[in-house]
Amino acid sequence: MDERDAGRQVDDWFMRDVLPLEAALTRFLQRNWRQPAEIADLRQETYARAYEAGLRERPKQVKPFLFQIARNLMIDRLRRQSVVSLETMADFEWANVSDDAPSLESRVAARQQLRQLQHALDDLPPRCRQIIVMRKIEGLSQKEVAQRMGIAVDTVENQVAKGVRLLAQALGGRRGALASQARRYNFFRKSRDVR
Amino acid sequence: MSVEQQEQAAAEWLAREDRGLTAQEHAAMQAWLDESSLNRVAYLRLKGAWIRADRLAALRAPRRAALARAGVGLPHWGLLAAAALLLALVAGGAFHFLNGHFLNWDFLNRPQPLAQTYVTPVGANQQVRLADGSRMELNTDTRVHAEVTSTSRTVTLDSGEAYFDVVHDAARPFMVYAGNRRITDLGTRFSVYRKGEDVRVTVQEGRVRVDLLDSPTPTAPVVAEAGHAVIARGAETLLISKSPHDIANELSWRSGMLVFNQQTLAEAAEQFNRYNRQRIVVEGSARKIRIGGSFKEDNVAGFAALLHQGFGLTVSRRGDDIIVSR
Repeated sequence: MDERDAGRQVDDWFMRDVLPLEAALTRFLQRNWRQPAEIADLRQETYARAYEAGLRERPKQVKPFLFQIARNLMIDRLRRQSVVSLETMADFEWANVSDDAPSLESRVAARQQLRQLQHALDDLPPRCRQIIVMRKIEGLSQKEVAQRMGIAVDTVENQVAKGVRLLAQALGGRRGALASQARRYNFFRKSRDVR
Repeated sequence: MSVEQQEQAAAEWLAREDRGLTAQEHAAMQAWLDESSLNRVAYLRLKGAWIRADRLAALRAPRRAALARAGVGLPHWGLLAAAALLLALVAGGAFHFLNGHFLNWDFLNRPQPLAQTYVTPVGANQQVRLADGSRMELNTDTRVHAEVTSTSRTVTLDSGEAYFDVVHDAARPFMVYAGNRRITDLGTRFSVYRKGEDVRVTVQEGRVRVDLLDSPTPTAPVVAEAGHAVIARGAETLLISKSPHDIANELSWRSGMLVFNQQTLAEAAEQFNRYNRQRIVVEGSARKIRIGGSFKEDNVAGFAALLHQGFGLTVSRRGDDIIVSR
């Protein structure tokens, strides 16, 4: 087995076993990190570390493994700050964080995933949606889509790039948005309490 | 490269791949992927979504119906859930606010008897309106005796901490006895904390005079103005200046919060321990770690968990105590 094959196996493992945890991972990060702007960055860094660890050895239990990486990453970042402020982290949620929490999201049933995808598709901008529908539902190639719509292939390509980002976002984090809203509200309330 | 740029680059590669790569593009893409794991996971993340989107083909037959009612199934749901959550939080907040800060004062508008002892258990907090209209707020684990007559107003702080909002009356000085100190109000809001023989007075507004009572030789009283704290132990008295922010932090117990700003973990634990039966014991070098943040005073478990998760400290149980160490 050459290096490429090994890499491809890790790619498959990453897409099959790691990515479905994205919604859970995002919530975990949101609960424990105060700067919403840094969540995507933390998520990608967690993925990169998980991927690199996966090249060496793949864990039996993916979720605890992934969350441990995320936790260590947050700790590393906190330690690098000269003044460690607990405000950086949402203080109440740590106690509830459990790797064994029922993972509704880990393997979304096929039907549910289809519904999720459908909603994600519905939320795309009209032109982008039209192109993704032709490409994914009708099974046309990008070139055929361009011909059908009478537009340049480059335009189709750009819309595919845009669409895939939005789909990934919708599949990975919708429920997370609510959690972070609640957390921010809670934080606001707390700050007011402290005169 | 930012996450945003990485994701955009990954999306472009994926769209090009979906269109069909030339040999040259293929090599360039492999090089980009090999450049860093961050590139690779950004690409794989989008690739995963793109592959999952193949399931959409299942919609082929009823597609038009599905797309016709397109728009907002989940979004509505999401919105409703958000509204419900917000409502719950607002309601919770309002209740907390009324319960903790409004009702008690108004409830206790009726002046209290002329002489009375008040005791709060660990974790509790009580507001009292004295016969002269002055208000007193007792912190956790506190015992005071208050006596208001036509000629004098005296409160004895046996232990714990109390905040005073005094109606000034030059003919009837308001005096607080704590250990070997007497604190005399000169028109003011202040708090007094007594732990054993240590007494700390924090002045939020106006002025107080602090006298040493059991000195064999006469000593000059210390007058502390707003923004100052007096720390007294034995015959020693220290007057220190405090920023409004520090004063607010020291009085944050009145709203059920502990606020730390660069305190050591040992000091923070001591503060928590005033409010809870379950004690936090910090051992070894961990005692010197400095922290900041605000916490509900009864959230010991959350605090301990945070020390473990956030600082990588070891947290264990010994009987009822929570032991924190490196």
